[in-house]
Amino acid sequence: MFDTVIEIIGTLKRNKMRTALTGFAVSWGIFILIVLLGAGNGLMNAFSANQEGRAFNMVRVQPGWTTIEYLGLKEGRSIRFFENDMDFILSHYPSNVEEIGGEVYGGRGIISRGQNYTNTSLQGVSPIAKRMNGVKLKEGRFINETDAKERRKVVVISSEMVETLYPNGENPIGTFLQFDKIMWQVVGIYKSERSSGNERVYVPFQTYIAIYPSALENGGLQMVMSIKNLETEADHEAFEENLRKDLGMRRLFDKDDLSAMWVHNRLQNYMQMMNATGILNNAIWVIGILTLLGGVVGVSNIMLITVKERTKEFGIRKALGAKPRQILQLIIFESIAITTLFGYIGMFCGILLTESIANILEVQNAGAEHVSFANPTVELSTALAATLTLIIAGTLAGFVPAQKATKVKPIEAMRG
Amino acid sequence: MIHLTNIHKTYNNGAPLHVLKGIDLDIAKGEFVSIMGASGSGKSTLLNILGILDNYDEGEYYLAGNLVRNLSESKSAEFRNKLIGFIFQSFNLISFKNAVENVALPLFYQGVSRKKRNIMAMEYLDKLGLKDWAQHMPSEMSGGQKQRVAIARALITQPQIILADEPTGALDSKTSVEVMDILKTLHKDDNMTIVVVTHESGVANETDKIIHIKDGLIGKITENYNHDFWKAASSK
Ligand SMILES: Nc1ncnc2c1ncn2[C@@H]1O[C@H](COP(=O)(O)OP(=O)(O)O)[C@@H](O)[C@H]1O
Ligand SMILES: [Mg+2]
Repeated sequence: MFDTVIEIIGTLKRNKMRTALTGFAVSWGIFILIVLLGAGNGLMNAFSANQEGRAFNMVRVQPGWTTIEYLGLKEGRSIRFFENDMDFILSHYPSNVEEIGGEVYGGRGIISRGQNYTNTSLQGVSPIAKRMNGVKLKEGRFINETDAKERRKVVVISSEMVETLYPNGENPIGTFLQFDKIMWQVVGIYKSERSSGNERVYVPFQTYIAIYPSALENGGLQMVMSIKNLETEADHEAFEENLRKDLGMRRLFDKDDLSAMWVHNRLQNYMQMMNATGILNNAIWVIGILTLLGGVVGVSNIMLITVKERTKEFGIRKALGAKPRQILQLIIFESIAITTLFGYIGMFCGILLTESIANILEVQNAGAEHVSFANPTVELSTALAATLTLIIAGTLAGFVPAQKATKVKPIEAMRG
Repeated sequence: MIHLTNIHKTYNNGAPLHVLKGIDLDIAKGEFVSIMGASGSGKSTLLNILGILDNYDEGEYYLAGNLVRNLSESKSAEFRNKLIGFIFQSFNLISFKNAVENVALPLFYQGVSRKKRNIMAMEYLDKLGLKDWAQHMPSEMSGGQKQRVAIARALITQPQIILADEPTGALDSKTSVEVMDILKTLHKDDNMTIVVVTHESGVANETDKIIHIKDGLIGKITENYNHDFWKAASSK
């Protein structure tokens, strides 16, 4: 057995050109497959990285402007939502809406504690914002229902602000911060996501509106809800249509007036995206497998030529005492040796390339709000499975010509 | 050693060609014989049958006491490996193996260890005066050297019989003599059974017995034991 391996290595070494050609077909097939699969994974990973920590079943409804006349009311009116719209939705869609809240984007300003200050923007939110934005708490708590009900002046700040505002290592929870001459009590600290400079702070939107009623006009009160029991694309469309109809009747706009209210359905987008990436992924597999198949055809083709070229050699070997089984073994083992070695090289190069790109991207993507390509690597098991497939296919590819070679009579083989 | 009775062989690719039409032949152990005949008379066909490289249609063939008929490919290979040493006109060395590797190859198929194989191959190359050429490829050697490598390869398994098909056919006169001298020495010193196929009477004359083949049948058989004596006498 070991001797046979040495015999094969000897043959491969002495026939470098042939070995290289076969090997290239194999290496290339595996390499391309891994790079393609890596690319597909890169897109998928980027997508999920962008979604990380956020709940998917979220719908945001934003007021807009009318573009269609409605019940004699002119177009161009700006639409507003109010807190009672949220109560209405919650009670009207009990089987589809889990939780609802409001969101107001406040202006920028200085938040300070004594001598220390930093830039921020106030965001009026409901408890649901924690899920919506994937907020990770470091200390304390997030805005809760009681804060909202009692219009408390409480604020959740970012961990990075703590460093600026509390340079002495004081515990911020329970302390007060000033924003626009109003004192806000810190109840929680969230983990800064990426060092993007000015970070927002969260306050109850009801408190915010009570202090700044004009906020309802500028940008307005948005509604954020978590949804359930919406399975299909059609479910989502029906839900949105009903929402438009109901809110249209309450806030006086046409249900077909799409710019009167904007609906951003994260779950629906996610489903569409998953669909698209699923198709992409399938396409990549198809291309990859075709490439792999090309490798296999290449191997079998070269095996065919090889066997033909070596008819005389096999004839001599037979005359000297090689049994048909030994000739078959020689060819098959050679095929396995080539596909294994070069399959491994292709796999190695493919993994090397994808991992290097992944490393470069990791540096580039660090701190980015949105990434379009991340960690384009393939699971080792996938790479190994692909290589193994090629080895098996390459072996089978070598089998047919090998079988043929063993059938030729030695005297005929030597004549050729 | 070899016992043939009524051997027939017809080639059936294309128009049937009845080449051997009832060969009866006995070759004893230690004989040094040549099979002589015109080109196309069926010498190689006969030798291939003797070498179990081809099968025959009718008759019986015993090689060293074994009936050679309807053998499986695997069994024929084993017989060839153990009983026969081949020498061909075109040497039939494996082009990508060097001299030692070529000589050692039959032992590979006997499962002899690599180390032992190489030692034995070197021994036989040395016997044939090719010690310094052990690592050379066939393409780097002259015809005479290649044929000597082939002879070493034929001898390494210590076969019962050497079958040579036109062993000097591709060589010049000087090397032809050298090769025939090697065969003669093998016969004389080791009592090796040797069958040489040739169409040259000069080559046939170097052997002890000349078997003429004509029209697919054995013709005249000439005893030639005194060839060395006559040659020596005529050169005086
Ligand atoms: N494989 C074959 N198929 C068909 N005809 C063959 C084959 N081998 C040899 N012959 C024919 O058989 C006859 C004898 O051939 P061969 O034994 O090689 O003659 P020799 O060796 O005496 O020159 C020739 O006419 C040759 O053409
Ligand atoms: Mg011939």
